[in-house]
Amino acid sequence: MKDPFEKRERISKGGEKSLLQNLRILDLADEKASFCSKLLADMGANVVKIERPGGDPSRRIGPFIGNSFNPEKSLFFHYHNTNKRGITLNIEHPMGREIFLRLVKQTDVVVETFPPGFLKGLQLDFEILNEANPKLILLSVTGFGQSGPKKDAPSCDLVASAYGGQMYISGSPSTPPLKPYGEQSYYTASLFGAIGILLALRKREQTGRGDQIDISLQESVLSSFAHVMIRYFHEKIITQRQGSLYGDYSFFILPCKNGYLLMAPFQQWEMLVEWMESEGMAEDLKEMKWQEETYRIRNFKHLFEILKRWTETHTVEELFEIGQLMRFPWAPIYSPKQVLENPQLKERKFFIDVDHPEIETSIQYPGPPYRLSSISLPRWRRAPLIGEDNRAIYQGELGLSDEEMKRLSSLNVI
Amino acid sequence: MVGQILDGVRILDFTWMLAGPYTTRILADFGAEVIKIQSEKTAKGAESNLSAYFNAWNRNKRSITLNLSHPEAREIVLKLVSISDIVIENFSPRVMSNWGLNYEALSKVRPDLIMVSISAMGQTGPWKDFVAFGQTIQALSGMTFLSSFTKDSPSGLGYAYADVISGLYGAIAVLAGLQYRDQTGEGQYIDLSELEALCTLLGPTLMDLSVHHQEILPKGNRSDDLMAAPYGCYRCLGEDRWCVIAVFNEDQWENFCQVMGNPDWTQEERFSTIAKRKDHSEELDAFIGQWTIQRRAEEVVFLLQGNGIPSGIVQDARDLAKDPQLIERGYFLSLRHPVLGEMISDAQPIRFKNHSTAHWKAAPLLGQDNRYVFRELLGLSEEEWSFYIERGVIQ
Repeated sequence: MKDPFEKRERISKGGEKSLLQNLRILDLADEKASFCSKLLADMGANVVKIERPGGDPSRRIGPFIGNSFNPEKSLFFHYHNTNKRGITLNIEHPMGREIFLRLVKQTDVVVETFPPGFLKGLQLDFEILNEANPKLILLSVTGFGQSGPKKDAPSCDLVASAYGGQMYISGSPSTPPLKPYGEQSYYTASLFGAIGILLALRKREQTGRGDQIDISLQESVLSSFAHVMIRYFHEKIITQRQGSLYGDYSFFILPCKNGYLLMAPFQQWEMLVEWMESEGMAEDLKEMKWQEETYRIRNFKHLFEILKRWTETHTVEELFEIGQLMRFPWAPIYSPKQVLENPQLKERKFFIDVDHPEIETSIQYPGPPYRLSSISLPRWRRAPLIGEDNRAIYQGELGLSDEEMKRLSSLNVI
Repeated sequence: MVGQILDGVRILDFTWMLAGPYTTRILADFGAEVIKIQSEKTAKGAESNLSAYFNAWNRNKRSITLNLSHPEAREIVLKLVSISDIVIENFSPRVMSNWGLNYEALSKVRPDLIMVSISAMGQTGPWKDFVAFGQTIQALSGMTFLSSFTKDSPSGLGYAYADVISGLYGAIAVLAGLQYRDQTGEGQYIDLSELEALCTLLGPTLMDLSVHHQEILPKGNRSDDLMAAPYGCYRCLGEDRWCVIAVFNEDQWENFCQVMGNPDWTQEERFSTIAKRKDHSEELDAFIGQWTIQRRAEEVVFLLQGNGIPSGIVQDARDLAKDPQLIERGYFLSLRHPVLGEMISDAQPIRFKNHSTAHWKAAPLLGQDNRYVFRELLGLSEEEWSFYIERGVIQ
């Protein structure tokens, strides 16, 4: 069968089309939603990150290149701001506000993460922005959304994860609730936000008008796990945390000789028992009663012990490879190092090298998770240094003079 | 009634389980006409039209039945594709090809077609045929390893996060594809890998490792990367009740000490800066835990939020169902299902200023839209229609 990608390079030599080539975005977001405009920038949108003079606070989040704090070496910031250009601007200063309004007139989208009411205090709320540019789309991402009794409560990923219900169901009964690794609520909110922007663009085609989109971190978390509320509303079950025994025991983690394996012990049961039997390790699992799934769940501890005795005689790789040949949905619990070495990701060129001329090296970034049949990826640009594109945008695009630039800089507006 | 955003966009939906249906649910919620292709053979378990899960992921969609393994089903699919904008599927990579329904074939009848394939590993590469569910992807991405208290007690997330994340990426792919088609007239085939999707959510960590080559180990709720201390989850009064507290600067720390009544330990040198508190987080957390355990989570959080300190209750399903914030924002809503009755569902977290769910419908019954789709949309004659039913193509 013909491979629709056979002629395509993962990364273009330059000058090619992109999915979102005519989309312009101003990004005022901190760590809560910088990933949102990154997603769109990676698809070709023209994104300008607006940082306050001195740099965005998310530059303080590690890890740092060289392992010591430097606002221009935050890998967190770099990852979340690829393919954007960057300017500094104090929108709280009246002159900064004026410049911002001029930029707003030339953009399609503004992304912001200020506390609700902050922009209104600066007279830069949606109504005013919309007057300056009736086609403007404003995406606001905050802890609890723009309305409701908690809208002003301070939030962060940890708080969103707790309030959104994610923590209560992760971890084991003997541990505290567990927050998923990384700033996951910011990612889910950013994904929802990007969908919102693309929907609003389509709506704008029909109505000629922009719109405001309101995303809550708490709701984004709650919308990212499938079964918890369904089970509660329809079966009155409060899902508990069960360590590595997931949901209805459909998956669990067992130790092997050299690591851990995720198994699905209830799929293709007979095939599994035959396999164990062929190695003389099935013990009493051949007995008819074990064919009943309900019996297996009731006698789970016993089953778990037998399986464990068996998996401990194998390496993770053996069970993964043979298991996959037999179509068991098993997998090793990979560490980040093993992820970097994964042959599948390598073959698909998932990781891409991005030049960092400021430190005379290139760094490997996770690329986008999709391949397109008629468009290659544009060559990636690293995130901007603080105010790196001030000159190009203020002078090149807004036409400010050298004097004006100096004055704004001395007033700490840019 | 105002028109919906995706009015006039028709989607042929071959998806099942969670990742694909999550994509098409978002698009259906905003007005796309999503035609879900089912069959008597596959409408079982989580894909049974009468399960609560099915109802949650397939609201606002239409359902038709088509036996795709029947040789004559192909020509009907091609006719449907010719009047659709988008095709979405999340089978193993060879399935659509085996039916003669890959992008090459489908784009012949609809040249500007946008097709999205969501699969575990992607359509190419040595692992493309591997079998995987959300939990499998999480294990392979590093997420399970990292979301644990220690490396010798891997636990991971208690739910199929990878499926939802892939579903969200799927919706972005469809909408970006539409944007491109509107501007250029060209269609697109989009190959989306669930494993890659999840790896994008561990970006800084994977970059850290490739730059520094230092092993990165799980640390439970702690974070080396954030300048915050205290930062963690603390036990409160009551059975399995917990709160979280995050202190990002010295003002918040002073407020926090004040709320606790400035106990002597807060004045100790080892807790005097964020960096020092991070270095002594174990002792710090023990002190804070002694304060929280005497109070209800609601009380702790009320006190802290009132003083500008990020904090929260670790909510379980019952807390969520009665959370005043969610209720006031209309996060839960009820849709009437013809067989299951009133079903409570979650709203879209994507809110526009003038958001309306007035047109929303519960999930379809198996094949409930057969007549509308085959007779009205495709224009099959009564004879053709009965012919296909007799042959078991339409079930």
